[in-house]
Amino acid sequence: MIRRTIAALAALLLVAPVTLSAQSYPPQPDPGATRAFRLPQTQSFTLPNGLEVTLVPYGVAPKTVISLQIDAGNLNEGNQVALADLAGEMLREGAAGRSSEQIAVAAAGMGDQLAINVGQDATTLQLNILSEHVADAVQLIADVATRPDLPAGEFDRVRQNLARSIAVARSQPQPVAEAVLARAYYGDHPYGRVLPAEEQLAAYTIDDVRRFHRDNFGARRARLYVAGRFDAAAVRGAIEQAFSGWAAGAEPLRLPPAPRTGPQVLLVDRPGAPQSTLRIAFPAPAPGTEGDVDMQVMNALLAGAFTSRITQNIREDKGYTYSPGASVSRHPGEARWTFQADVTTADTGAALREVFAEIRRLQTEAPPVEEARGMGTWLAGGFILANASPAGLIQSLASRDLYGLPANWLDTYVPAVLAVDAARISAAATRRLPLDRMTIVVVGDLGAVRPQLEALPELRDAGMRVADPI
Amino acid sequence: MRMRWFAAVLAIGLLAGAPATAQTPAAPAEAAAGLRIETQYYTLPNGLRVVLSRDANVPTATVAVYYGIGFRIEPRDRTGFAHLFEHLMFMGSANVPRGQFDRLMYNAGGINNGSTRFDFTNYYEVVPANALELVLWMEGDRMARPVIDQEVLTSQQGVVANEVRVNVLNQPYGGWPWIDLPMLANQNWYNSHNFYGELADLEAATVEDAIGFFNSYYRPNNAVLVVAGDIDYAETRAMIDRFFGPIPRGEPVALPDIREPRQTQERSRVRRDPLAPRPAYSVGYHIPDRGTPEWYAMGLIDQILLQGEDSRLHRKLVQETGIAGSVFGGINMLGNMFNYNGPMLWSVAFVHDPDQSRETIQRAMDEVIEDLRTRPVSAEELTRARTKIRSFLYDQVNSGTRFGLVDLLASYALFDNDPAAVNAIEAGFAAVTPELIQRTAREYLRPTNRSVLLVEPGAAQQGAQQ
Repeated sequence: MIRRTIAALAALLLVAPVTLSAQSYPPQPDPGATRAFRLPQTQSFTLPNGLEVTLVPYGVAPKTVISLQIDAGNLNEGNQVALADLAGEMLREGAAGRSSEQIAVAAAGMGDQLAINVGQDATTLQLNILSEHVADAVQLIADVATRPDLPAGEFDRVRQNLARSIAVARSQPQPVAEAVLARAYYGDHPYGRVLPAEEQLAAYTIDDVRRFHRDNFGARRARLYVAGRFDAAAVRGAIEQAFSGWAAGAEPLRLPPAPRTGPQVLLVDRPGAPQSTLRIAFPAPAPGTEGDVDMQVMNALLAGAFTSRITQNIREDKGYTYSPGASVSRHPGEARWTFQADVTTADTGAALREVFAEIRRLQTEAPPVEEARGMGTWLAGGFILANASPAGLIQSLASRDLYGLPANWLDTYVPAVLAVDAARISAAATRRLPLDRMTIVVVGDLGAVRPQLEALPELRDAGMRVADPI
Repeated sequence: MRMRWFAAVLAIGLLAGAPATAQTPAAPAEAAAGLRIETQYYTLPNGLRVVLSRDANVPTATVAVYYGIGFRIEPRDRTGFAHLFEHLMFMGSANVPRGQFDRLMYNAGGINNGSTRFDFTNYYEVVPANALELVLWMEGDRMARPVIDQEVLTSQQGVVANEVRVNVLNQPYGGWPWIDLPMLANQNWYNSHNFYGELADLEAATVEDAIGFFNSYYRPNNAVLVVAGDIDYAETRAMIDRFFGPIPRGEPVALPDIREPRQTQERSRVRRDPLAPRPAYSVGYHIPDRGTPEWYAMGLIDQILLQGEDSRLHRKLVQETGIAGSVFGGINMLGNMFNYNGPMLWSVAFVHDPDQSRETIQRAMDEVIEDLRTRPVSAEELTRARTKIRSFLYDQVNSGTRFGLVDLLASYALFDNDPAAVNAIEAGFAAVTPELIQRTAREYLRPTNRSVLLVEPGAAQQGAQQ
């Protein structure tokens, strides 16, 4: 009955106001030039043990972000898949005379909880706290990172938690697609091993974790960032006191992968799935190398931005999908471009046909100047937003340092992006996205999807195969 | 009803107060001084409420339009309609052809999105400050003259159906517990239907439905406009007068009765989930009315019991018993305790292993809950709970996008007609005593006020209601 009421109103009210006021509406404003955005000054120093420290006075509220990044991640596991994740979780279980509860209570009393994030290349410990506690927060992070208890009594429980998370990941189509892609693309390199087998995880011991920590956590591999409102001299003193005793440890491990180039087509059956989960991957220029910035602008225009061609095509025009996108994932010395989407099962072949067509169109025709310039402006605006908070700025600085980019990278990024013109975008698509060399993963109802894929020459000729269980 | 295009997980983070930083008239150096947001608040003759808040720390401007219509209130045979309609508002207006809204925004260096929540639907943008006028021009045009026709409806029906597939149908635990728990715990249809929408209802929506919905709810007298950032107050007011002033006022909005009766009997349900690899437990409790002293107490109870690794449920369920690897939930799982206006649940949820029996789990839960109901909290624990909330509030003003800030201001304008009341939030929490905490726990954490929803792995008729 509600709907009837609404419908009746509609007939009366709708049409008239539209034509009347549209004509008198003021013309579209022109935004003009963007005001300059200056990044705050940073202050850097290195402790005798090799720990690099960067302080950034920033922001207005009395809060401070403290972030310790250590070059110890899945890369350093050898064959022991997810051991780095296990080590990261075990860090919270007590350190330097504090129990796990005392650590949690201390962090909460400062206004946060300790975030520990384990990535493929690095482990990050971070606190975002009320500034009056900044010295205590530095000490807490130092205790947990450099003097963890790694207690045997908590190990089984923590490992069981990881096993449960991995079981959930295996039941989700997106993590399965990611893992199959990583294995096909990176092969036997640690980047290619994402999910451990149950038996492998079950065989780890607390000694494996202790060895991982001992061998991989050290000052020479670590960088500490502090951004927010704080007293720089006092923070420097707190850092020296908390971290000077940390052993230098090993140099960072350099182990660049040798990706397998396509064509590779891997299928995973998910009977009855209402959507197909897609991944398409190509090598991308390593961070900071020739073509890196071109790739980013090209990616935004093709599939990375909401206004990108592929999103407008398969989402806004065709309604095949909700959340298509693409991005460049980066490691020191290596990068990969990946397109991802979850498309309606019945439209899987049609969606891929449109994706391939958009790639070809960009390769054969330079985009209109306005479209190309717009994407540069969007990336430049995104740079302001990304760095408009202490946590965001720390992330930019940490990425710069992890990838070994020049100190002035943050200052040169926006001009470099704005210099990428339409011809360079098209050239990047041609050079970086050769459709006969792609790696593609489809997780879906193969009974319904496989015939659609076989009708696509790009896939049929590349040799489709069903992936081994992940 | 998540965001228009962000991944589901991100969507929660954004409005719930993801990390971030940067705002001026904002926060004080000393903790004791508390949160102080500078605002200008006024109402246009057509009823549009406007909140301005200047902060020149970063040269950007954040604009948000909040309409006072959420997913609770939608036609009974059109579940998911409020969210579907949100998508339509991106499909062009009389002076902004289809596709241009996003393109103009992006080409100016900004980002934009929208979301549908319990009691509002919002549209928001952050742009370099020089593009403010363009943004207001576009928002004014779509408030006055959106293009709603069969073409755009069909396109977004496809998109939204795929949104439901990717976030619910093709996921283990899809829609758990944020759709499931309100459906179980509430008795009033407005609070207990499937907010995301049944696919058949989404497909059945018509242009007539959409036009009617627009005319009923998307009028200036049912909306709040917030502009925050590096702005000039007088110039911004003039722009708003120009673009929003001429929009005609709509009929007064009459909202249905969404109240819930006091729950006096425990409710429970088992959901079979063929995609889930492990069982899961969740519980929801009805909470005190927003803005009351008991509601502030409930906010602190949430901090004491559930938020952070120092919380009692984390200590019990994760550290002591090893039942779960993590515990999540809170007040308003699609936002925070400030940005809704009506019946709401406090929820707790976690995935566990099959060797943990329901009895073991319920006993562990009860030990924690009953302790709070029978023993006063210490001053130290109460202080820590307040500290966590203060830290959260500072993050809202200290954020790069200011989305958290404009969300607070819009909520207090829309629901309380008083955006400056955000500066009194801390005082509300400061007034809570251990006695009030205990009294609130006794009434609202009663076993008879809870609804327990269990997920069991395995095939069966999914969604069977007890």
